[in-house]
Amino acid sequence: MKKKMKKVKKILASPIVTLLAFVCAVGLLLFSSIGGARAALTYYSETYSSNVELSEIGVRLVENGTETAGELLLPDVEEDVKLGKTYKEELAVRNSGEINQFARVTVYKYWLIPDDGPEGWRKSQELGPDLIDLHLTRDSGWIEDEAASTPERTVLYYSNVLKCAQGDGAGETSPLFADSLTIDGRTARIVREENTEAGVRRTYAYDGARFCIEVRVDAVQEHNAEAAIWSAWGRKVSVSDGVLSLE
Amino acid sequence: MRRKNILLAAAAFSLTAGVVLTPGIGSASAYFTTYTGAAGGRTLQVGSNPDIEETFSGWTKTVTVSNSEGSRPVYVRVRAFSGNAYTLQYRDDSGRWTAGEDGYYYYGDIVNAGEVTAPISVGIDGIPEEGGSFNVAVIYESTPVQYREDGSAYADWEIRLETLGTTDTVGE
Repeated sequence: MKKKMKKVKKILASPIVTLLAFVCAVGLLLFSSIGGARAALTYYSETYSSNVELSEIGVRLVENGTETAGELLLPDVEEDVKLGKTYKEELAVRNSGEINQFARVTVYKYWLIPDDGPEGWRKSQELGPDLIDLHLTRDSGWIEDEAASTPERTVLYYSNVLKCAQGDGAGETSPLFADSLTIDGRTARIVREENTEAGVRRTYAYDGARFCIEVRVDAVQEHNAEAAIWSAWGRKVSVSDGVLSLE
Repeated sequence: MRRKNILLAAAAFSLTAGVVLTPGIGSASAYFTTYTGAAGGRTLQVGSNPDIEETFSGWTKTVTVSNSEGSRPVYVRVRAFSGNAYTLQYRDDSGRWTAGEDGYYYYGDIVNAGEVTAPISVGIDGIPEEGGSFNVAVIYESTPVQYREDGSAYADWEIRLETLGTTDTVGE
């Protein structure tokens, strides 16, 4: 009896048996799921039908009261911009979807200068975005994320929930996050100097340059907003009683 | 041999854990999100290239200042210099030139691209006798039109240029 047990132990301790056990484990793991699927096919319960309705999320940028996408029209700004004049440029966000949402806006300001490339323009690293004054509103419910903002970029979070449309009405529109645009008159007195054989040659640095304002609006579901914002936008926020604040 | 067994056991465990855990990934990012965007701008014309034109007849210089096509609108002022030998008499039939306290005559209207000012005449009194000589110089200055917040225009004659950078092409 003892001899037999010893023999069994010896067999069990051999590497071949371990390898066989491993192969069996993998086989069982893989075939168990297939077997389950087969089993499901061999038996049919009564047919139940159910509908799952997915709500749609949507957001629009509103410029001087009109929804716009793709092109920022700057409707109040003449082609021949008057330097120093304050133009009406009212920007807000509208919930165009079917669920409540939180929104944030990223505004980029920069200068394009003529270029020989295929697009005809390239971004200037030299001309100052601070001379493009898109005036941001204060105490309107928009919070600036100063940690994410630079002279060229401003990130704003709307602290309240933007409600979706009720019935046939339109979704809620946020208060304005910007209300006017001014191109600083300094653009008419900043020059580049060139020392030539004939003397100093001065050219206006902003002559022929194109100012550009780019607005991106992001929206995320109201439900479980803290986790959703952290996951989608990578920003820690806290939401208490429907009011968002930055951490 | 024992080490081999441990490695095999570890591999079997990893495989099982992988099969069990993999379906759980992905569900973490199932949130409703959306975005929209728009961009726009305008091109600036900042430079100006005004020019002066003079005619001389009957001991009177008549001056006009023009602003070339493609230039930014400007304000213009002129002043004549003659030394102490002669007196200068300015004459403006258009009523658009105004004498300033600094000796300049200021043109009241904005001179847009392609436009010319109304003429202003500078008469020279105390005309020299035959054989004498005289020298009267008329200078003009222009400044780009500036705007206040409400859009009303003004001229800033104290404007100081700021230099963004200097390049040197001497000897190239």
